[in-house]
Amino acid sequence: MLLTRDWLRQGALLAPATLALVVLFGAAFTGALRQSFDPTLLGGPPTLAAWRATLTDESFHDAALFTLQVTAMATVSSALLALTLAWYLRRTGTLARMFASSPVPVPHVLITVVAVAWLAPGGLADRLLGGLPVDLVRDANGLGITLVYAYKEGPFLLLLLLMVMGRQVADREEMAAVLGGSRWRQFRHVVWPSVRLPLVLGSIVVAAFVLGSFEVPLAVGPTYPDTLSTYALDATQIDLTAGRARAAVALILAAAASVALALVCLRIARRWRV
Amino acid sequence: MSRARAPRRGAEVVLAALFAAPLLVLVVQAFADQWRAPAIVPTDFGTRGFASAFAQGNAAEALLNSTSIALLTTALALIIGWPAARALGSERARRPAVIVLVALPLLIPPFATGTGLAEWFIRLGIADTIHGVALAHLTAVLPYVVLILALGFTDAVSELEDVARTFGAGVAQRLALVTVPSIAASLATAALLAFLVSWAQYGTTLAVGGGLPTLPVTLLPYIRTDAQVAAALSLLMIGPAVLVLGVALRRGRGTL
Repeated sequence: MLLTRDWLRQGALLAPATLALVVLFGAAFTGALRQSFDPTLLGGPPTLAAWRATLTDESFHDAALFTLQVTAMATVSSALLALTLAWYLRRTGTLARMFASSPVPVPHVLITVVAVAWLAPGGLADRLLGGLPVDLVRDANGLGITLVYAYKEGPFLLLLLLMVMGRQVADREEMAAVLGGSRWRQFRHVVWPSVRLPLVLGSIVVAAFVLGSFEVPLAVGPTYPDTLSTYALDATQIDLTAGRARAAVALILAAAASVALALVCLRIARRWRV
Repeated sequence: MSRARAPRRGAEVVLAALFAAPLLVLVVQAFADQWRAPAIVPTDFGTRGFASAFAQGNAAEALLNSTSIALLTTALALIIGWPAARALGSERARRPAVIVLVALPLLIPPFATGTGLAEWFIRLGIADTIHGVALAHLTAVLPYVVLILALGFTDAVSELEDVARTFGAGVAQRLALVTVPSIAASLATAALLAFLVSWAQYGTTLAVGGGLPTLPVTLLPYIRTDAQVAAALSLLMIGPAVLVLGVALRRGRGTL
């Protein structure tokens, strides 16, 4: 009886937030599905026209591939940058940590302003170095997008890593050094097992964000190929009715990819949980 | 030993500073009336960027809209998220399914959520309104608020509340004198993050409130057309964020 009352109390406390999320995301999901099957939104019979048009569109295929490529490049480079920085900055004081994490609270749209000022042709990097070896703004390989995300998300992952690399890890590292373990073995057997779980969980958040956001590709990405989000935005601007339906299809697929990716990573991460 | 360590500390600070330094370009560019290649520093300083942002870029309206939306979203998220955080703070309610449900929205692209919601919001007449955009922002903000606020609701807080109840404190007294001071740090962090996440939202805002100028939506087109105006709008965007951060940090220090 007491247990039931406790459960009821917990349920009542959880209800407002879960209900709000279920209603809002339920509405978003059904709204997107409805748009994708009923482009005119007039309640006619459902049609697969938007799905067919999107899935057979070559520029959609290119956008999907480019999105996956940019997501992989941005996530891996952010994770590697965070890992390298965490290794070098793990014993530093507040000042270095504050400097290194300074891009974290800056909104993405502002980071793109900074990126264009530095990396655009004729930008500050160009002026200081007398020319850049590669195009970083509007390049079709997504190098500029990757660099911007690494600059913004690398410090975010760094913060997560530094949080777990506290006194305990430092003590175990010292113990490994006393026992004659090389720097590589200290990293492999002491640091890596401590940081891999937050690194993977943080990387899921980064990958999901890169998959769906479009401030960065809009400002520094190429005009072709699109990412899935810029493809959706372009579709709504070219044709308001049919375009919205195609945008909904592209975004449903981006959301599905994001959740699928997270589930795969979580399966991997679960094996590491101590 | 400490002498050998000192240069390394210096090198570490320099390495870290490489991440902060590029951001300074925003301040310089906002006041650079003339800054053409190959000049390394601006050749003329002035406030043309701010003047243009306010004259043509709807900066005042965008600033007001962004502030109203972020404050409303923060208030809504704290009110709705508080009970759930309270439940999740206790070990018994920390079931994986609940955590996943609360955290799942972080994986859905904001533009996708916004596009799906836009259809309903148009029907309900709340698209392109402060309330509508705040409601849409809630999808991105609520998960952070619940998860961070939950960190503050430890068993120690419940025990303190029980002691206050034993001494005859009413609900309002317990809330004001025990609960809020006990979770001040989590509350300040959650409120700060809620404000900043809403403040920086681009995708959701564009989808459900494209006709309502906010700072990010107003700023983005200027990145390609007028870098000085973009930088001036960036400073307007970062100013209140720094202010909120300062207030939150001061409040957080007063925790029990």
